[in-house]
Amino acid sequence: MTVLSGASDLASVKAAVRHRHARRGGRAYVVLRWAAAGIFAAILTGLVVSIAIDSSQAIAHSGIGFLWSGTWNPTANQFGAGILVVGTVVTTLVAMVIVVPIGLGTAAFLSELAPRWLASPLSTAIDLLAAVPSIVVGLWALLVLSPMFANHLEPFLKSVPVLEWFFHGPAYGPSILLASVVLSVMTLPTVVALSRTALSGVALADREAAMALGATHWQVVREVVFPGARSGIAASLTLAVGRALGESIAVAMVIGNSPSVPHSLLSPGATLGSAIVNQFAEAEPGIGTSSVIALAGVLLVLTLLVNAGGQALLRGMGPGRLRRRERHSITQVVA
Amino acid sequence: MREQTEPRVKVFPMSEDTPTGLAGGAAAAREEPSGRYSSTRTPASVALEAAGRAHRPKEDAERPAVTLDNVKVSFAGHVAVRNVTLALPARKVTALVGPSGCGKTTVLRAINRLHDHTGGRVEGTIRLGDVDVYAPDTDPELVRARIGMVFQRPNPFPTMSILDNVTSGLRFNGIRNRALLREAAESALRHAALWDIVKDRLHQSALRLSGGQQQRLCIARALAIEPDVMLMDEPCSALDPVATEKIENLITNLAREVTIVLVTHNMFQAARVSDNAAVFLLDEDRVGELVEVGPTVEIFDSPRDERTKQYVTGHVG
Amino acid sequence: MIGAAPAQWRGEEAASSGDWEARERRRPVIQASARRSLGRRRRAGRFVQVLCVLATAIGLAPIVALVYYTAERGLGGLSWSFLTHAPVPEGIPGGGISTAIVGTGEIVGLALLMAVPVGLMTALFLHERRGRLAAAIRFGADLLTGVPSIVIGIFAYALLVRPLHHFSDLAAAFALAVLMVPIMIRADEEAMGAVAVDLWEAGVALGARRWRVARSVVLRGAFPGLVTGNLLAVSRGVGETAPLLFTVAAPSFAMTLLIYTEGTQPFPSEQQTAWSTALLLLLFVLVLSGIARLVAWRLTRRAR
Repeated sequence: MTVLSGASDLASVKAAVRHRHARRGGRAYVVLRWAAAGIFAAILTGLVVSIAIDSSQAIAHSGIGFLWSGTWNPTANQFGAGILVVGTVVTTLVAMVIVVPIGLGTAAFLSELAPRWLASPLSTAIDLLAAVPSIVVGLWALLVLSPMFANHLEPFLKSVPVLEWFFHGPAYGPSILLASVVLSVMTLPTVVALSRTALSGVALADREAAMALGATHWQVVREVVFPGARSGIAASLTLAVGRALGESIAVAMVIGNSPSVPHSLLSPGATLGSAIVNQFAEAEPGIGTSSVIALAGVLLVLTLLVNAGGQALLRGMGPGRLRRRERHSITQVVA
Repeated sequence: MREQTEPRVKVFPMSEDTPTGLAGGAAAAREEPSGRYSSTRTPASVALEAAGRAHRPKEDAERPAVTLDNVKVSFAGHVAVRNVTLALPARKVTALVGPSGCGKTTVLRAINRLHDHTGGRVEGTIRLGDVDVYAPDTDPELVRARIGMVFQRPNPFPTMSILDNVTSGLRFNGIRNRALLREAAESALRHAALWDIVKDRLHQSALRLSGGQQQRLCIARALAIEPDVMLMDEPCSALDPVATEKIENLITNLAREVTIVLVTHNMFQAARVSDNAAVFLLDEDRVGELVEVGPTVEIFDSPRDERTKQYVTGHVG
Repeated sequence: MIGAAPAQWRGEEAASSGDWEARERRRPVIQASARRSLGRRRRAGRFVQVLCVLATAIGLAPIVALVYYTAERGLGGLSWSFLTHAPVPEGIPGGGISTAIVGTGEIVGLALLMAVPVGLMTALFLHERRGRLAAAIRFGADLLTGVPSIVIGIFAYALLVRPLHHFSDLAAAFALAVLMVPIMIRADEEAMGAVAVDLWEAGVALGARRWRVARSVVLRGAFPGLVTGNLLAVSRGVGETAPLLFTVAAPSFAMTLLIYTEGTQPFPSEQQTAWSTALLLLLFVLVLSGIARLVAWRLTRRAR
């Protein structure tokens, strides 16, 4: 056994080792690793480049106004992503309106109110929701939720006086509302898991300081725990938005594929993702497919921006605080 | 040549003196003749000197601020500390001393019912004045509003400004009057010797202060609700000597108006600052218990219990 | 007053002695306010508690409903012949989804063949090197996890289908691999990081010659974590539809696509096929997740 003589600290040991095995044919490993990293980098750049190239035809045809033009009418050779961006934003927004109170309320319950024997299985159940394939959620929404909505929920919503501004018009099933509900189901696990981690991560010392001043449990949660979990909660919401923006197949099944200005939440609509799914098959090769690919490009940029923000927030949350088991469930809900 | 007579008090090894290096520093401030590393600096001698210079404007023959009667605290069936019967005199500093793990902090936290959420079970009676703290019809929030607590590591609320930190206790208890809040905040900050430092940056984050300043902020925060009793759990253990000295002076000043219970593992600190001391040690079953309580001078100079003697002379702990 | 106060404190003295009356005045006001507001504060807390319980009940509803309905509607169609027979043309009873099951297996298998080595090696690379390149790659992996699966499907289409003018399993596998690699990289690196650093360095110190042995120490130690991470990635890959939309030759070659095409048709028998396939998929994914969790749980227990 050779002890590397003269190597007095770890850094020099490592350097010496690398030097050694480079001479010994461990070079194969080095090459392999560099190759893998290289492949990965190639994939990343390839993604951006190929989409850019293939959408060029569409951009050439429609001009840069493609990004915000309000008409998507393939038969009339008009391709504009604007209406789709609006649809994407609206569905995501409504989904967030649903998910934020429910997700944060659940996270607060699991972190602050529930006894440990209850919190663990419940949070596992919600994490399992993240594992359900989106196609299954879409199927369920199409065949179970949609009739339910059409027969019971939507008439109810239309009858409530204040909400009428949002909910009116004929309601046959596919609707923006339904799509938003689907999105909220799919993003709920992300919000709950990350927010719960953020809430639990608030230091006991801070909570006790508030308690020692005479605060009630709710006061402790409101004044100390929630503010302390701010960045983690923000991260969870941002990542949820990123996920909602990109969800395509489940939305495509329930939104009705109607790229026109919706007049209420009960009318059908279209998002970037749903348009890609629904329009692809019938798209005319050439301009048609290129335009669909261009939509993918827009979606890519949008989600990259949002997710980069979310990742940054996640990192600011405090990497050391996640325990290993939490990291696993978070990998599942974030990935 | 005749041997030098045994000093009246026991001699300590030098290392006892160094942890905070305070004995000398505080002594210098009090214009003492002895040098920093004089061999006669023992907790007993420190206590004697402190007591010698103390004089109270009036002798307090009033009822104790807090009484503990046969208190036992256990966690999940395992007893942490027992046999605690203790009266904490009003407007004096009582130090809970003893080595780590003997139950001092556990007893302290039992006083303001902080064990409610950690699963600790408290048996026996604890009274705050007349009020039985653990009676079923006693509201823990109201008990805690009469008691201020300072923790081992400074813990200002990280998301609040300095002013909001100080007024947090008042706001938790429903006070919204701006004038009252400001008045109370200024008074508390002055008492914590922090006012001049922070008065121009009340809206900055509390985390910008140094460790010692943060701890004084926590003291101010606790003072702002005008508590009858202040519980301090080793408030200086995370601080440097200069900050420690400031806080010890603070404690001494505060004691004129507030009852203070101070947990410390530093005998010298106890000797400097406290009027009474309660010694906690582990018994044969490795369960903490209260061994002896009395005026600080007596505890360190002429303890009655053998175990106390062993502790204060450095033979155990 | 105890002791001769240092000069700094004398100023505070003057302030505090005049302050004493103000404090005596404030104390009862504060106590009264505490007592008065306690009822309100507690009621607010109880109200929020009810809201949170409600929120949790609503939050749990989707997973419960999903499992329930999928099981209820899918169970009826599940049978041995369903699993083993190939699909038959419309209108003819019988037939199953065997081609879809096999097809999914092939595609996912191919994808794993591509993704696992790349993921492992890249994770090793990241684990052993610090520096800007590693940080850039890590950042890239994080970004890639956020790319919608439909965009990845379009990418595979643009790269492998359009130029070659035909759909293929390879293109589909490629799309899934691109989807899975970043997840694997993250999980693998995580698993390796969890192996005690001393273990690795001990291996290194023990024999520069036996560098490979040293590395195998890391791999062995990280093995459970690697399994977990890769299982999760597989679970994700199996359930994806969008990447397959643009790459697979026919819907009968992949379970997820089959669900899409059959489920969107207005005929009950087709919908039944969709439900049963969905149930199969759901069971598979839940079991995989369960295994991954079990392994992770054992991991944390052993680490304690």
